[in-house]
Amino acid sequence: MSRRRIGLALAAASFAWGFATSLAHATDISFWTWRQEDKAAYNELFADFTKANPDIHVKFESFPDENYPTIVSTALAGGKGGDVIHTHAYGWLEQFVKAGYFEPLDMATVPSLANQPADALVSGTYRADKRVYSLPFASQTLGLFINKDVFAKAGLTPPTTWDEFITVSKAMKEKGIYPLANGMGTSWFNEMFVAIFTNPFLGQDFVSDLTSGKTTFKDPRYVAALGKLLELRPYMPEGFEGIDYETAGQLFLSGKAAMLAGGSFDIATYRSQNPAINMDFVAPPLAKAGDTPQATKFFDGGYAVNSKSANKEAALKLVKWMGTKEFGDKFSALLGNISPIKGVVIKDELLSHVAKLNETAMPHINVVYFRFEKPTGSELLQGDITKMMSGSITPDQLAADLTDGLAKWYKPFQGK
Amino acid sequence: MAEGWRHSERAFPWRRSLWIAALLTPALLVMVLFVLWPLLSAFRFAFYEFNGLRPSGFIGLENFRQVLFEKPYSDWTWNAFKHNVIAFLALMLFENGTAFLIAFALLKALPGHRIHQVIVFLPVVLSAVIVGFLWKLFLHPLFGLVNQLLGLVGIGAIPWLGNENTALGSILFANIWHWLGFPTLVLLAGMQRISKDVLEAARLDGAGDYALMTKIVWPLIAPSVTIVTILTFIGSFNWFEIPYVMAGLTGSPGGSTDVLGLYFYRTAFGSTTTGIQDFGQGSALAVLMFVFVAGVTAIALRYLRRREIEQ
Amino acid sequence: MRDRGETIRNGAIQLLLAVNAVIMIYPLFVMVASSFKTNAEIFSSPLSLPTHFSTANLEKVWTETNFVRYLANSVGITAASVALILLFSTLAGYAIARYRFRLSSLVLMFFLSGMTVPLKLAIIPLFIQLDTLGLVDSYLGLVLVYVAMGIPSAVFIMTGFLRTLPRELEESARMDGASELRIMWSIMLPLARPALVIVAIQNAVPIWNDFFFPLVLITSDNLKTLPQGLTVFVGEFTTDWGVLFTGLTLAALPITLLYIVLSKQFISGITQGAVK
Repeated sequence: MSRRRIGLALAAASFAWGFATSLAHATDISFWTWRQEDKAAYNELFADFTKANPDIHVKFESFPDENYPTIVSTALAGGKGGDVIHTHAYGWLEQFVKAGYFEPLDMATVPSLANQPADALVSGTYRADKRVYSLPFASQTLGLFINKDVFAKAGLTPPTTWDEFITVSKAMKEKGIYPLANGMGTSWFNEMFVAIFTNPFLGQDFVSDLTSGKTTFKDPRYVAALGKLLELRPYMPEGFEGIDYETAGQLFLSGKAAMLAGGSFDIATYRSQNPAINMDFVAPPLAKAGDTPQATKFFDGGYAVNSKSANKEAALKLVKWMGTKEFGDKFSALLGNISPIKGVVIKDELLSHVAKLNETAMPHINVVYFRFEKPTGSELLQGDITKMMSGSITPDQLAADLTDGLAKWYKPFQGK
Repeated sequence: MAEGWRHSERAFPWRRSLWIAALLTPALLVMVLFVLWPLLSAFRFAFYEFNGLRPSGFIGLENFRQVLFEKPYSDWTWNAFKHNVIAFLALMLFENGTAFLIAFALLKALPGHRIHQVIVFLPVVLSAVIVGFLWKLFLHPLFGLVNQLLGLVGIGAIPWLGNENTALGSILFANIWHWLGFPTLVLLAGMQRISKDVLEAARLDGAGDYALMTKIVWPLIAPSVTIVTILTFIGSFNWFEIPYVMAGLTGSPGGSTDVLGLYFYRTAFGSTTTGIQDFGQGSALAVLMFVFVAGVTAIALRYLRRREIEQ
Repeated sequence: MRDRGETIRNGAIQLLLAVNAVIMIYPLFVMVASSFKTNAEIFSSPLSLPTHFSTANLEKVWTETNFVRYLANSVGITAASVALILLFSTLAGYAIARYRFRLSSLVLMFFLSGMTVPLKLAIIPLFIQLDTLGLVDSYLGLVLVYVAMGIPSAVFIMTGFLRTLPRELEESARMDGASELRIMWSIMLPLARPALVIVAIQNAVPIWNDFFFPLVLITSDNLKTLPQGLTVFVGEFTTDWGVLFTGLTLAALPITLLYIVLSKQFISGITQGAVK
């Protein structure tokens, strides 16, 4: 009897608890993301949203980067998942849209789409139906972090051209400082490393030749640019093959390394980890003096609405708000990301440098063009680049593997 | 009243059947729902194309053809397979070899042997995730324990997990550290079953430790060796946790630590920046792995059991 | 001291064992010692003992992470799974061992063949199956998978053990008019305790340590188990090694303590799984 009574009490309690929580707020929605480190900033943003919409509360839920796609697809397939989902862009987004997991966004529901520039919207658009499914949240710029104090102490000037980069690196190494903090231990970061240093050698012409089907990655320009990467090896930390993204960041922040090829998305993180750091973010070394500076730019992803969400209206309201200038201003200020929203004011000096770099930046080729089908350009490149850097394959082989792999689904490469 | 049951049994045979069925149903139901049905489905799914999480069309052997013969998938499959084979051979030689030596040393029952058994088995009870992360930190090129220790004797920073030539070996080392106690104690149990008389007789005949080990103990623990071999084989081909934790989903660097478990997971569930998930290809891989492991195990068991009998 | 050769040989054996013991224990010792150090201390002097025992890392793990929740989830899921495995496999084993019926050997064969299936490879259909039942991302879904995984060998062990119990007890109880349920519950099962302990340990350890199934089946942070939670935790504190070592130490602690107390049962439980 007593066991039964406990059971009843438990059932009643859990019922009451569920009831109480549902009464407390009119609507609770959740926001899913892989940006675990941005929790505080998003919570601040969501607090603003709730101030304007007192009946909606947003819960921030984050997941490890590596498992994020699995978790999202698993949850969405089961009709669960966050109400608003942080998505990556381009091909990543497409597989989810294809399966019908996201709600299309249009001017009626999300009028703030009007605030987005056209190239940003492409990143959240499904190619097949030309509709937008994810509201772009940031443009990311890849370039070179400079530790100004380290340079000052060493009496050296940050390089602008490739030749200067090599000379400065030699001098830096002699002083016992790692010139370049990067390693090869994290595959997605490796792909950025390749983009950063090869893009100035490739130029916009190569990109248009590549996307118009005139050439492939076997192009001598691409192979030569890959060859340049090999020249960097002596200036990376010893054991660079095993240095991962986090360690590289630590080496740079602690002043053990002078430069780091990385992304503008880390500016805020680095500042919070070492508030005293005096750093700059510049274009990667130019092929020759007088060239236009060519950083790499891409749209990282966006905010999408779960089509199975029980609170679709509230979710759309949130996404709508996330497209406003009000959100964009604060977002850029808090996270040091460049919001694509038109008219957003970037007060931070370093970030405004980055915004300037964006005007002449190159696209992140693999991410923008070659992630739509299997095998993706990213998985092919990421698999081969560590081999190339450790010397077990040549740039020619990498270029061939990349081209042949993509030819499976990318028609212009077939038979080339 | 004993008659009562017999009576009722005769009168209500369904009552007894019902009772037996009631006893069996929960276990059978779980097995059918969560083992038998999924397993049969796995075979079926391998012949389908998938759109997201649902099969969309029958495509015959296409998935199998892709993972076995179409580049780049076939390269990835064979690359991973090769590492599973290396893992199996390395574990047989280094893990089970060491285990055999230690078991033999423990057989002497010198002072402290009981404590040693407890110590050597301790890592076995820990999660592979803990072991993997621990060794990942220890193997860090700049700050890790291993390189710090080597630094004391003047050896420079070795990127254990970053270099293609050392990464797989390093991960295998962590795995051996994790599991060593298991074969050690299984083999020790086998050795302890050998009768004292046999050992004593051999000693009286003047057999030294080495002769005792190779001529008497090794042949007589054949059943334990069979078990250890089979389990090492199955373990090597289902290897997932430690490589996942230490080398990531892509088997970095450059696929040099990729194993079938990782490749299967990546194919089926996708990975952050690279893959697009494909349940069809994933199912084909799972079927191939299952058939391979089950087939080899069956043949090996036959062969090893024969060896046991011959001894 | 029969002869000098023997002494030298034994000395060599003890040396080998001592070296092995150090290799096994030293890494764990460093892990625990590092958990009391600051990050800077770990990087600058990784080999030394902590200069003063700082509990800052511990506080951080306790207050800034979901660690306690992960721990509670692991306890709950392991306990529920083991309880159901014991219950279901005892019932089934009892039916097979104590009654003669037409399909009994076939049923036993069915369970035995389950021991050879690596369920990991059936994760795709298993996932779809649980999805259809609405059990993805729930305790129940994960528990059912573990139960399915544990039943075959548990049925095998229980059947084998229950068969060895003498018939007389059962018969005399039956003469006294006890019901079948009563015979099973109060007479036979209490005798099966040693086998139940083996089955419990054999299943509890791999379930407690499992990473693969939660990785695929659990997405909500509030439902994550300890090994899975550990990967979240490592993702958040990648550069704070003091906190990482503390997390690893805490994650290893419960099962290590239990192992030290019950090492004999652990060893026989886990190795018997192999000798099935």
